[in-house]
Amino acid sequence: MKINLITRRKTLAGMGSLAAAASLPAQQPTPLPKLIGERPGRITPLGDLVNVLEFEPMAERKLASATYASVAGGDRTFFERITLRPRMMVSTVDLDLTVELFGEKMFAPILVGPTAGQQAFHPDGELAMVRAASAAKTVMVVSSESSYSIDKIAAASKTTLWYQVYPEGDLNAIQARAKQAIQAGCKALCITLGAPFRNATGAPSPASVAGAKNAPLNWAYIDKLRQGIGVPVLLKGIMSAEEADAAIKNGVQGIVVSNHGGLLTSAAAASTLEVLPSIADAVSGRVPVLIDGSFRRGTDIFKALALGARAVLLGRPPLWALAAYGQDGVQNLLEKLQTEVGRTMGGCGKPTIKSIDRTSVKIHDA
Amino acid sequence: MDPSRRRALWGLGALAGSSLLRAQQFDPFHDHSRLPGFDEMASIMDFEEVFHAKLPRQIYDFTDHGEGSEFNLRRNREAFSWVDLVPRGAADISSIQTATELLGTKMAFPIMAAPTSGHGLLHKEGELATHVGTTAASNTPYIVSNASSLPIDKIAACATGPVWFQLYPRPSVDATREILEKAQAAGCAAVAITMDQQASYYERAAHLRHLTEDPRTAGTPPRRPTTKNPYRVPDGRLWYNWKFLDEIRPFVKVPFVAKGILTAEDAELCIEHGMNGIYISNHGGRSLDYGPSTLEVLPEIVSAVRGRVPIMIDSGFRSGTDILKALALGANVVTVGRAARWGLGAFGDAGVQKVFEILQGELVMAMAQTGRPTLASIDRTLVRTRFR
Ligand SMILES: Cc1cc2nc3c(=O)[nH]c(=O)nc-3n(C[C@H](O)[C@H](O)[C@H](O)COP(=O)(O)O)c2cc1C
Repeated sequence: MKINLITRRKTLAGMGSLAAAASLPAQQPTPLPKLIGERPGRITPLGDLVNVLEFEPMAERKLASATYASVAGGDRTFFERITLRPRMMVSTVDLDLTVELFGEKMFAPILVGPTAGQQAFHPDGELAMVRAASAAKTVMVVSSESSYSIDKIAAASKTTLWYQVYPEGDLNAIQARAKQAIQAGCKALCITLGAPFRNATGAPSPASVAGAKNAPLNWAYIDKLRQGIGVPVLLKGIMSAEEADAAIKNGVQGIVVSNHGGLLTSAAAASTLEVLPSIADAVSGRVPVLIDGSFRRGTDIFKALALGARAVLLGRPPLWALAAYGQDGVQNLLEKLQTEVGRTMGGCGKPTIKSIDRTSVKIHDA
Repeated sequence: MDPSRRRALWGLGALAGSSLLRAQQFDPFHDHSRLPGFDEMASIMDFEEVFHAKLPRQIYDFTDHGEGSEFNLRRNREAFSWVDLVPRGAADISSIQTATELLGTKMAFPIMAAPTSGHGLLHKEGELATHVGTTAASNTPYIVSNASSLPIDKIAACATGPVWFQLYPRPSVDATREILEKAQAAGCAAVAITMDQQASYYERAAHLRHLTEDPRTAGTPPRRPTTKNPYRVPDGRLWYNWKFLDEIRPFVKVPFVAKGILTAEDAELCIEHGMNGIYISNHGGRSLDYGPSTLEVLPEIVSAVRGRVPIMIDSGFRSGTDILKALALGANVVTVGRAARWGLGAFGDAGVQKVFEILQGELVMAMAQTGRPTLASIDRTLVRTRFR
């Protein structure tokens, strides 16, 4: 009853202002359309899904609730504050999404980001993930907390692999793992600052989150960790221009702007996309800047590219696809995003990734 | 609550969401299925209700849905709430002057029918009914789509109201030339070339189609990558380019307008390439998701154009006050796409006529209520904008 009353009053107010030739009252943001109409409990055929967001409710139907909770949701408010600036009559018929990273040409500016313990989502875990990434010509960052060994993952891979470690605990042990991964063929090392995904189900453990949040960046430790690592090193978890600058001065070869899917910081903290422009300015091309954090659509990725990112990492979406559809699902999801980025470039008259710049987007006040 | 009030509320819900679909989901009063009749049509949204009930679901979905997540479709409507009308006294209804001329076409109101495809799906007489309807509505100019169900010469000849032509470029210059010559020979008084919708995908309509397939199949077969198209992007229109425009420019002897413009830069380029008018449009939220609403880019384009060519606008216009806001921000003419389709699908030519007469009446009323008796008196001081 109460709900009805409020709705009615709001609607009437809207009508009054219309009649008075004024405008409608400020509207609540429209909730994102969720999957409408699929019967409860049913998994939609993979070919029917029309976007990445639809994989999430499918994963929810497949997974135990605690496992699903570890990959649920995302913060999309900042994406909703950016509009694109469509440009006409620029041929994009030779659409080229390739980007170069550390001397290697990537098919598209999208990577499967590091996520721990993928067997919690599918029995084939990282093996299915890497086969899908290979089929979709996508670089995969393997978590040091993977369910399968890096050797097995590398053996199943036909794509470029990177490796990710946490700078915590026994330094020698971490270095040994990193070197083993490089031995297995990993082409870059990603050091994740702060560690939300600690246990095998991927759920953040409160203790480690609290610890990581307060830990100052220990450059001496990171320096030591890098010793003898013969591949480019990226720092993941950078959220300010100052940190980015310090990282480069300390010899880091790449930056990943990340707040760990919003798990590390409070809800009030900035989204990664919001801090990206200032970080990109500070870095000013010295090293590649990558980003993650709730990327779900091709337009999201396009916006990050416009604001200075070289490529985007996906965290939760590949796990949704893995849980609901296994390897085929992940491949489908990655290819959907490639196509969506391509379509967005077509609509904005940007035939190459390099041609996308800040004039391609407009950021609006909250 | 009396039924007419209930319907009005329902209509408003739909207005806010610009889709009956959402309106139904959130409307607490939707508890009966009686279809309102022709005489009950009081606002544009009433036609959508009838259209929805009368036409097959897929045709409704095709007409009403938009590109991608439909952020852009929603924003088109939302943008009207960022513009307030600031009335200055009132004017006598009988004193209101709305007649104008656009690129040589005289019109009783600054309102035209936007080009939309395949009216044959909506009504058995297709575009003929549309032209009869627009003509009956004080000779409202009708821009016939290049994707019409009937040939342009038949459509142009079936009624006396002014007709323009909308072009979808063909990669072959000769093929495009042939289309343009046919349209001009049929008497089209101007041509609008549609530049947008380079690679669109009606995600929500596809989703609904998949859900209602029986038996459930594997949906739309995925586009296979090829060496020419490794990213599986719909590539029929990616080739558009300025050089092509220059090549076909001489074939258009009547005024030539660029449709789909959303930035000051492109407006400038269009003028440089000899276009006679700028038609701001995002294809009714059907071109690029997360694109801007047309209303919010109107000021930027008006200042770039500096009066050198006239400015047309569409996408999301549903009422006289919507139209008045665009005129105040500097548009010369407003066009409507879905509104005309709803009228046609719901009631044929009489529905088209009524749609335009309602809009015309609402515009007159809004001008009177805000104390702007002539089009010339409608200026920026009539509005307060809160674009973000
Ligand atoms: C179903 C449908 C079909 C359309 N077909 C065409 C077309 O063939 N050519 C074109 O230039 N625009 C086409 N449009 C876009 C319209 O010209 C116009 O830009 C849009 O409908 C305006 O938004 P509105 O529907 O909110 O009034 C179409 C729009 C719709 C809804």
